[in-house]
Amino acid sequence: MQDPPVLEIRNLTLLRGNRVILAAAALEVAPRGIHVLVGPNGCGKSTLLAAVLGMAEFTGSIRLHWRAGGRIGYVPQFFGVDRTLPVTVAEFLALTRQRRPVCFGVGRARRAALDELLARVGMEGFLRRPLGALSGGELQRVLLANAIDPLPELLLLDEPASGLDESATRSFEELLLEISSRDGAAVLMVSHDLAQVRRLADEVTLIHRGGVRSGPPARIISGDLAESLALGADYPAS
Amino acid sequence: MTDFYAWTAALSERGTLPEVFRYAFFVRGLLAVLLLAPLLGGISHLVVARRMSFFSAALGHAALTGLTIGLLLGEPLNGAYGGIFGFCSLAALAMVYIKRHSALPSDTLIGVFLSVTLGLGICLLVAVTKRFNIHQVEAVMFGSLLTVTDTDLLLLLVLGLTLVTVLAVIYNALLLDSLDHTTGRAAGVRSEFIDYLFVMLLTAAIIVSIKIIGALLIEAMVVVPAAAARNLARTTRSYLALSIVAALAAGIGGLFLSTRFLVPTGGAVVLVLSSLFFVTLVGGWMRSLIAK
Repeated sequence: MQDPPVLEIRNLTLLRGNRVILAAAALEVAPRGIHVLVGPNGCGKSTLLAAVLGMAEFTGSIRLHWRAGGRIGYVPQFFGVDRTLPVTVAEFLALTRQRRPVCFGVGRARRAALDELLARVGMEGFLRRPLGALSGGELQRVLLANAIDPLPELLLLDEPASGLDESATRSFEELLLEISSRDGAAVLMVSHDLAQVRRLADEVTLIHRGGVRSGPPARIISGDLAESLALGADYPAS
Repeated sequence: MTDFYAWTAALSERGTLPEVFRYAFFVRGLLAVLLLAPLLGGISHLVVARRMSFFSAALGHAALTGLTIGLLLGEPLNGAYGGIFGFCSLAALAMVYIKRHSALPSDTLIGVFLSVTLGLGICLLVAVTKRFNIHQVEAVMFGSLLTVTDTDLLLLLVLGLTLVTVLAVIYNALLLDSLDHTTGRAAGVRSEFIDYLFVMLLTAAIIVSIKIIGALLIEAMVVVPAAAARNLARTTRSYLALSIVAALAAGIGGLFLSTRFLVPTGGAVVLVLSSLFFVTLVGGWMRSLIAK
């Protein structure tokens, strides 16, 4: 029997101000599955992730069917950190991993564990680096490390590979497949990289003109859509 | 406490301590500063991390209005805590509520609140000065050692310990929420609760500090220590430590200056603090140059 979805969205309507940006949307994210949201800028992909996190108002239902602890991992598109704030990578990662206030320091054993975690995203040795001194790609990998430990049941990724170079993108994709296929996490990801979507996605939801169309990547990402995206033009009508 | 003041006075007479320790009011002021500095220095780095400097300025002005309301309602000049706490809490909660439910930029909103509270405070001040000597009111506006009592010290100790304990418990969640609300939310941080709780803690810290620093200058003590520390700090740990050191140095230095030159304590403290900011600013620049 197929596992029930970890995330089940039914009849979802999202508003931006008084404007409906998404109406009567439905989608499911299964355990061990990678579900990718695609669509033009401003169509409501990130707002949908925010609604799942309880950070955006919506009507309809968003149900989370937890099997274990019910942890959500999240990598934002923009991390609004003030780059002059003196917070190191170790302190940032320790914020959710130790009870002791990080201003009193991060213990040696904890540091070792954090360095191992960073090694999973190719960032070992960066513990003492201030967050503000990281490049966009490095910061993105630190955020990914933060999201995958402890293993989340649902991983929400908002254009996680946007700042990564080619090598880091490949490592990221391998890691994502490992977390999903081997460890069983359900992944809901926003992406504009159609080649990446084809490589990773089990299911794709195209958000377009307030509606959604879901299915396997081969069916949803048609040649027309790829062309539209490449030209930066509007999407084909669903 | 009388025995303690007698003891410090005796040490002063023997030449062990400076002459100014003969006066109980100075010793009380010093104790107040020693209690206040870690509290304000500690809270200061969170105020700056949460980008609430302007919010703190508005709260300082609200404290002035709260003071006048308290006095008009019959509270004593030396302890108008009810009026200050009531009005500051109301203003702080209203600012956070409207900020969270409005599309207006928060600095615009805070500017509106600052204007409203200041306008109201100045109008009420006219009524207050009919009942009190303006110099007595000035002491609360700009801070004065003479007004600090043993009860104030006790209040400062109890409230300070409570605030530090609560801040220690919520510190990691508070800092994560300051860095990025959504990442905090995904990690289970209740951003709204944290927002309201922190402004109430800040309000309480401001209220217990008003007698020394003054209502109009308190914003400096919850912003400048962190600003000075940020010029040099590289980790959260050093950021907190340097904020506290800056607040302590300014508090003690300002207290001595205030006694020596007979100027309001708050003003003297803020001047020392501002000097520290510029010294650390140059220090930070020099360090960057050397590193290059």
